[in-house]
Amino acid sequence: MRFLLDQLEKSKHLFEPGGKLEKLYPLYEANDTFLFTPSDTTQSSPHVRDSVDLKRVMITVVIALLPCLLFGIYNVGHQFNVVNQVEGAGFASHMFEGSLRVLPIVFVSYAVGGMWEVLFCIIRKHEINEGFLVTGMLFPLTLPPTIPLWQVAVGISFGIVIGKEIFGGTGFNILNPALTARAFLFFAYPGDIIGDRVWTVMKDGATAIEGFTGATPLGVTALVPVGENATVALREAGFTLSSMFHGLEGGSIGETAMIPVLIGAAILIITGIGSWRIMVGGVIGLLAMGWCMNALPAEDFIGATQLPAYYHLVIGGFGFGIVFMATDPVSAAATTKGKWIYGILVGVLIVLIRVANPAYPGGVMLSILFMNVMAPTIDHFVLKSHIRKREAHLRKFSYAKG
Amino acid sequence: MAEFSTRKGFHIRLSGAPSDEVKIVDGSDEAAVYPQEFAGIKPRLLVKEGDSVKQGSPLFIDKKCPELRFSSPAAGKIRTIEYGPRRAIEKVIIDLAASQQTEAFPAFEPASLRSAARDRVIEILTTSGYLAYLVERPFSRIPNPAVSPKSIFVNAMDTAPFHTDICVAMAGQDAAFQAGLLALGRLTDGLVHLVLPGDHDNLPKALTHADGVEIHRATGPHPAGNTSFHIHNIDPIVPGDVVWTIRADDLIQIGRLLLDGKVPANRVVALGGPGVGNGSGCHYRVPIGAPLHHLLNGNLTSGEKRVVNGDVMGGTQIAPDGHLPFRCSGLTVIAEDRSRHFMGWAGPGLGRFSMSRAYLSWWVAREKSWDLGSSQNGSLRSMVLTGLYDKYMPMNIMVDYLVRAVIANDTEAAIQLGILETDPEDFAACAFACPSKMDLVGIVRKGLAMVEEEGI
Repeated sequence: MRFLLDQLEKSKHLFEPGGKLEKLYPLYEANDTFLFTPSDTTQSSPHVRDSVDLKRVMITVVIALLPCLLFGIYNVGHQFNVVNQVEGAGFASHMFEGSLRVLPIVFVSYAVGGMWEVLFCIIRKHEINEGFLVTGMLFPLTLPPTIPLWQVAVGISFGIVIGKEIFGGTGFNILNPALTARAFLFFAYPGDIIGDRVWTVMKDGATAIEGFTGATPLGVTALVPVGENATVALREAGFTLSSMFHGLEGGSIGETAMIPVLIGAAILIITGIGSWRIMVGGVIGLLAMGWCMNALPAEDFIGATQLPAYYHLVIGGFGFGIVFMATDPVSAAATTKGKWIYGILVGVLIVLIRVANPAYPGGVMLSILFMNVMAPTIDHFVLKSHIRKREAHLRKFSYAKG
Repeated sequence: MAEFSTRKGFHIRLSGAPSDEVKIVDGSDEAAVYPQEFAGIKPRLLVKEGDSVKQGSPLFIDKKCPELRFSSPAAGKIRTIEYGPRRAIEKVIIDLAASQQTEAFPAFEPASLRSAARDRVIEILTTSGYLAYLVERPFSRIPNPAVSPKSIFVNAMDTAPFHTDICVAMAGQDAAFQAGLLALGRLTDGLVHLVLPGDHDNLPKALTHADGVEIHRATGPHPAGNTSFHIHNIDPIVPGDVVWTIRADDLIQIGRLLLDGKVPANRVVALGGPGVGNGSGCHYRVPIGAPLHHLLNGNLTSGEKRVVNGDVMGGTQIAPDGHLPFRCSGLTVIAEDRSRHFMGWAGPGLGRFSMSRAYLSWWVAREKSWDLGSSQNGSLRSMVLTGLYDKYMPMNIMVDYLVRAVIANDTEAAIQLGILETDPEDFAACAFACPSKMDLVGIVRKGLAMVEEEGI
């Protein structure tokens, strides 16, 4: 370690003002502080500081995402082996086949996203912010495993540049960059991201297992006609509450299963890094809106309205979205009350979009992006009410009143 | 009497707490005064090198408020007057004389303070410079003697490491403390509030049975000991109001001046922190203005050290080869920590103190005290996490937005969000826990200066 530290210290002068590689200082700083904690000391009070820094925070989020990634890899491999009727495939084979499909997507996301991040930091002479470690991992997990790699590159580029950097970088963005990237692909290349064919990797020339349609639960629900039972339709397509909870089915890489999402949620809540208020608010909003939909007369509305509210919890990307996407502290509401309102409205909108607009099964993504835009407004009203209450309280103590 | 408490904030479990023992430090042959310690004044010297002064003789006045004089802590001859950049007076060093002659101030009988005229008390405080022990809020500056504050807060509670333990400082000083309280009562038309720690059972009677004041009890982790929290709960600062505050151990000094008719030569100061060697962390009775090496030599552990006047949260760094400041109720010594750790962000973090539950130490080492150093433990980043600061702010203030208002130079919003109720040190706990390593204390200090300049 001593040797490594010495090498870093020795090459430091190259990157400092006046050095040959002065422009690349942010890159040096990122590597240097990644390997060794910085030697910075406090300049004024408080003279001591907590051990936690943004690296620790962001790494914790990445760790919380790992169960989803691992399960995603397994599931993609499992789907591949089942649908293509690979004989004798076991756990190792699932993981191997899954890794072949998923890891390149993650790699491209990190490489291209990281490249943009570094480029902007060099131009701005900023330090590289660790936030992209999370964005680079979130984005691939929202994609179907069949996504072409060039689209991954285009998507993450759009997410990082338009979703974040043009606003001034991490901490200043309005939208969640990973979701912005996802939404961009959704609208720009719908053929590769919507429909029944994208969720499962097919071998060239292989015949699919009999009865395989590739449909996802959301796709099935959206097509239930007026007066018919959505639960029955789901069961006929092979989806029960428990199967959707376990998530061994087609879907975006990281969001089919609930158990890894719940593990991630537990990590975020226990470490205090993710806002539990947003998560709980989301669940409350989703269930409440689901029940409202159930209350509509079944004979007049499409079958999706009659889907039991708790089904919405396990269908599609709700869990993943509310735990990892909606809680992004930069794009979510910042006030405590605002977080409740924001979370509840995300949940409400998800059900509304899913049921009322079946053309967009990606209701989670759109709801969170919409609420990202609304978050400053929510905070504004919370703040106004806070100021009003403060003033009313202070008026009681005014010296001038005598 | 009010009792109030908070659960917001945290105990900083810094090692090296000073013991109750009081050792005497004596035998110094010089004393010094640092005019820059009194932020906000413009000093004009009344003495020159070679002049003889008595203990209590004025050394300089404030050009903006000429009746405010700052006095010599000891008698002797002015050895040097050192100037800093732009001819700012850095320090006045006095060679002590063999016999300590004192300047005479009017002395009071304890009972007569109940009815003393405000002007007489103010005159003693201004001509001795002891008015500087009081702090005027908002803006935390030396009070304007012409203004009568709406109330005065005496703080006998510390939650940040380390200050003089008020129980230690109070030994033998009951009369002086009570005299100080009565004098404060003459300075305001409103009430004098004495705030005691609510979770302390063995407080001296002079505190629990103090006369002529409202006694309050506050409980909670740091920053519950900050005066801002007390004011916020008892008699909050409304824009336009002026409140004065003082530390209880500083008030003892004022009481001694009023009873004895001369400025006290010494005071009790705590010395603590992880940088203090075993057994040396205790209280010291030190001549005011004495060279610090008398106090520090032989008492510190090896390695580069940082000496903080006050506690590690709100104190200011002072040079170890300097002198004991006028306003000093404790010295905390920590190591200058520039060490670098391999992949410090990884690992369970058992050996690192943190208020974040992302470190295992939060879960398993909850009672341990820590040898914290001056390391920033990370590099500066933009504000990312939200709502975190509010966990360490016991007042009804939204820290994120107040800080943003100041950064945006929006003084109007800053006032609406309550900046006038705060002192920069109130944000030290938030800054401590901030993973982006923001300089919240500095930002709020800048914000207060901005509001002060623009007017409320």
